[in-house]
Amino acid sequence: MGRRSLWESARMSFRSIAGSPVRSGLTALGVMIGVASVISLVALGRGAQQEVAGNLQQLGSNLLMVYSGEPRGTALVRTNTSNIRPTLTQTDLEAIRDAGPDLVNLAAPASTSNAQLQFENRNAAVTVTGTTPEYPEIRNFRPVYGAFFDQSHVDARSSVVAIGMQVYRELFDAGTDPIGRTIRINGASFVVTAVMEEKGTAAQDNSVLIPISTYQRRISGDSAYAMIAVQAADSSVMRDLQAVIEENLLRLHRMPSMDGADFYVVNQLDLLATVEGVAGTFTLMLASIAGISLIVGGIGIMNIMLVSVTERTREIGVRMALGARRRDITVQFLTEAVLIAVAGGIIGIAIGIAGSWAAFRFARIASEVTITSVLMAFGFSLLVGLFFGGYPAWRASRLNPIEALRYE
Amino acid sequence: MIHLDMVGKAYQMGSETVHALRNVNLTIESGDYIAVIGPSGSGKSTLMNIVGCLDTATHGRYTLADHEVARLSGDRLAEVRNATIGFVFQTFNLLPRLSARENVELPLIYAGMSKSDRRKRSEVMLRRVGLEDRMRHKPNELSGGQRQRVAIARALATSPAVLLADEPTGALDTHTGLEIMRLLEDLNTEGTTLILVTHDHELAMRAHREIRLRDGEIVHEEIR
Repeated sequence: MGRRSLWESARMSFRSIAGSPVRSGLTALGVMIGVASVISLVALGRGAQQEVAGNLQQLGSNLLMVYSGEPRGTALVRTNTSNIRPTLTQTDLEAIRDAGPDLVNLAAPASTSNAQLQFENRNAAVTVTGTTPEYPEIRNFRPVYGAFFDQSHVDARSSVVAIGMQVYRELFDAGTDPIGRTIRINGASFVVTAVMEEKGTAAQDNSVLIPISTYQRRISGDSAYAMIAVQAADSSVMRDLQAVIEENLLRLHRMPSMDGADFYVVNQLDLLATVEGVAGTFTLMLASIAGISLIVGGIGIMNIMLVSVTERTREIGVRMALGARRRDITVQFLTEAVLIAVAGGIIGIAIGIAGSWAAFRFARIASEVTITSVLMAFGFSLLVGLFFGGYPAWRASRLNPIEALRYE
Repeated sequence: MIHLDMVGKAYQMGSETVHALRNVNLTIESGDYIAVIGPSGSGKSTLMNIVGCLDTATHGRYTLADHEVARLSGDRLAEVRNATIGFVFQTFNLLPRLSARENVELPLIYAGMSKSDRRKRSEVMLRRVGLEDRMRHKPNELSGGQRQRVAIARALATSPAVLLADEPTGALDTHTGLEIMRLLEDLNTEGTTLILVTHDHELAMRAHREIRLRDGEIVHEEIR
């Protein structure tokens, strides 16, 4: 089959499609809806995946959390550790920092509990976290105003505090400079040195940060740490780092294995993988459901093509008498089915993209149309045309020219 | 040109074997004008289908322009039809969505001719049948006689050696029918072999040779 006759078949198919626009449109509608739903549902799934992964990344990059106690769920960041008996020590922290610059970038101890804040006649219920100056960098949670406390404040057990944005709004009038003001945490006086950036989560915006040494003396009365936040040197070494930390801490805690150990490590990478795995399954499920409508669209094409072959039996007979070979007839009908499917596919892709844009624009539903899903939808509509057009085209090519010519 | 040697066609109808055609010996020379006549059911359609390469015989040998037709595959048969046979049907069999010119171009497409050559060729053909001012018209915008002229132009497009006309005047009034017959006979004079299939004695009288079929056999043959 030469290029020329393929083009001729395509031209004939164009004419035949254009000759009955309503029928062709309705036939393409099935594929159109199928492709549009594949595109928009996959975009929705991808959007959800991105959003969850994004939220997880917001907690800090390359983050590992070492917790006291036995594993409790898979939360990467706990907002209240006052119900955990702290088992992590300064020795543990130093052991983690000593893992080497290839593995570990920063490590900061932290303990968190609920506290009552007071400034003049205003009150606020917040979480108070005791930590060290590395914490803002590790947690990707930085001061926007003023300066975070430094090591000298930790060494001196200074009563300084960095407050979250929501705390600032609750305690101070808008525009008030809070730096240097004294607030009370559970009755003890602290001087505000910084206001932290707004992160959009109550866990951070409604929290205050104080030196870990001050926290231990004034709030917990315990010299151990509830948790240690660790930033790995690179995302590629996170699992290695986790292994090294577990090994070193097991030795320090004189424990044989992680089973029954009094600490555990949560790895951001594992959480990310889990979340993306779940979101990926979700996306696949949505795509499969949408794929079913694509198949239904294909059946519609097959149905109409079979009707069309029957209606045009005489035309097929005439073409055969004039010298059309079987493959000429096959190609003609197959091209017609594929053109209808692909036209439906292209319009479906446009609708799908417009739909996910509208979902974001008007309903703030995150969605991401990927080039992969567009190409896949296009490819699938092509396959649907070939597959469901194949049988009718084959039937057409198998017609007996004599009977076809006699057909009324 | 055309040589049939003991050609037969048998169908299996349930347990019974029906012979639509049996022991037909026929030689048609290039440039002949021959009429095949017989009542319906006499086997003339079957004979025409075999001669036109739309069907293959179950018995005997059929050679068309040195091709042993019974041995050819479906696709080769299609090529032979395209190059050697021009069909003219009683009901014209034009494709309604295509213009006169596009109908004439159809066999040229299957012959693999380029678009510009097809345009030239279809114009020559339509001019030959006197329809140069109707090239863009669709079949439903043409009269019966004009439609049959388009069909004849289409049959001639690939310059076939044989023109197979099956009741070409059957759907036309006497006057128009006569015009069509004259056109076909002119083409025969120019060298095309003309095979006329009909049940009309008067029409058959015009041919140089007449073959009468009954019950699948040649019962009479005369040369004028």
